[in-house]
Amino acid sequence: MSLQGVLVLNLIALALLLWVLNLVRHGRLYVGYGVIFVIAALGTTLLVSVPWLQTTLTHVIGAVFPVSALTLLALCFIVLMLLYTLTQLTIVSNRLSKLVQELAIERAKRGGDAR
Amino acid sequence: MTPTPGILIAIPAYNEAGTIAAIVGRVRDSLPDYDLLVVNDGSQDATGQILEQLNVRVAAHMCNLGYGRAVQTAIMYALECGYDALVTLDADGQHQPEQIESLLSEFKQEGWDVLIGSRYISARSYRGAPLGRRLGMQLFSVLVKLIIGRRVYDTSSGLKVIRHTVFEPLTHWHFVDFHAEAIVYLMRLGYRIGEFPVTVTERTQGRSMYTPINYFKYPLKTSMLVLLGIIEAALTRRRHRS
Repeated sequence: MSLQGVLVLNLIALALLLWVLNLVRHGRLYVGYGVIFVIAALGTTLLVSVPWLQTTLTHVIGAVFPVSALTLLALCFIVLMLLYTLTQLTIVSNRLSKLVQELAIERAKRGGDAR
Repeated sequence: MTPTPGILIAIPAYNEAGTIAAIVGRVRDSLPDYDLLVVNDGSQDATGQILEQLNVRVAAHMCNLGYGRAVQTAIMYALECGYDALVTLDADGQHQPEQIESLLSEFKQEGWDVLIGSRYISARSYRGAPLGRRLGMQLFSVLVKLIIGRRVYDTSSGLKVIRHTVFEPLTHWHFVDFHAEAIVYLMRLGYRIGEFPVTVTERTQGRSMYTPINYFKYPLKTSMLVLLGIIEAALTRRRHRS
């Protein structure tokens, strides 16, 4: 990867890192989710800055160019994050449904004519 | 007739302002000895206000959770209050509350765990149903036969009698609409499910939950849950054995 490419990717990773830290600081992103992005940003920095890591990854994945290996890795990360986000969304949705149901039942027990 | 306080009639309702008063009135007239619960599933029309005026017992969802969750709320309520059986019927006026008494007689006599009020069991065909619905019902009826070995003609009927023994398994996980997926799950757990002929009138007011997009989504979602129901039932049976 060219020096310009390494610099651009490191800048993007740094921006992501700062943005995530700011979001966590203001309570707009749960620290558990923030950690994932911090690891991803640091991992990207490490991968693009250390050439032999890129070469090893390219060989392990079976790609010809390091850029292809990085793209594949990025795609996998996006799919995994999407699935993880939807899982968390489903959990929250189920909790909310349960709460709405319990509230409805408690209110029903107290009010209205049963016949 | 002796009063049967152990039976709860539940009506899940979503935007049924046009029919809810009439259906509640008919249930009260034809089944005065049974308790009645309306599950208002976050209706945005005047259903809530009408129910307030009727002074009926209401379990009101603060937002729309869908038909399956509304039925589940009724089951959870029946379970917590210790009812012996639960009768569910639709709020759109398609089911005749006057037929529930004969449904309950069959339920008690034959000792069913779930008895479905079926539109098609007498004719054993789907004549009269719209094409999309007919195909869907045919598909799930055949699917249930393939899995269970017995034909259930009306897998999507909202008129059901459910015994208290079935309440608990039905609150364990979420079913889409308590249709084929719930039938397969319960039958694989060894519960007895029967059908009893009823007549159904066409909906005259309100909107059906089967929108054009649902004609595609519903079979896919239900098929996936049927498959999961088989797995879940097998795991439950294994847990009970060990």
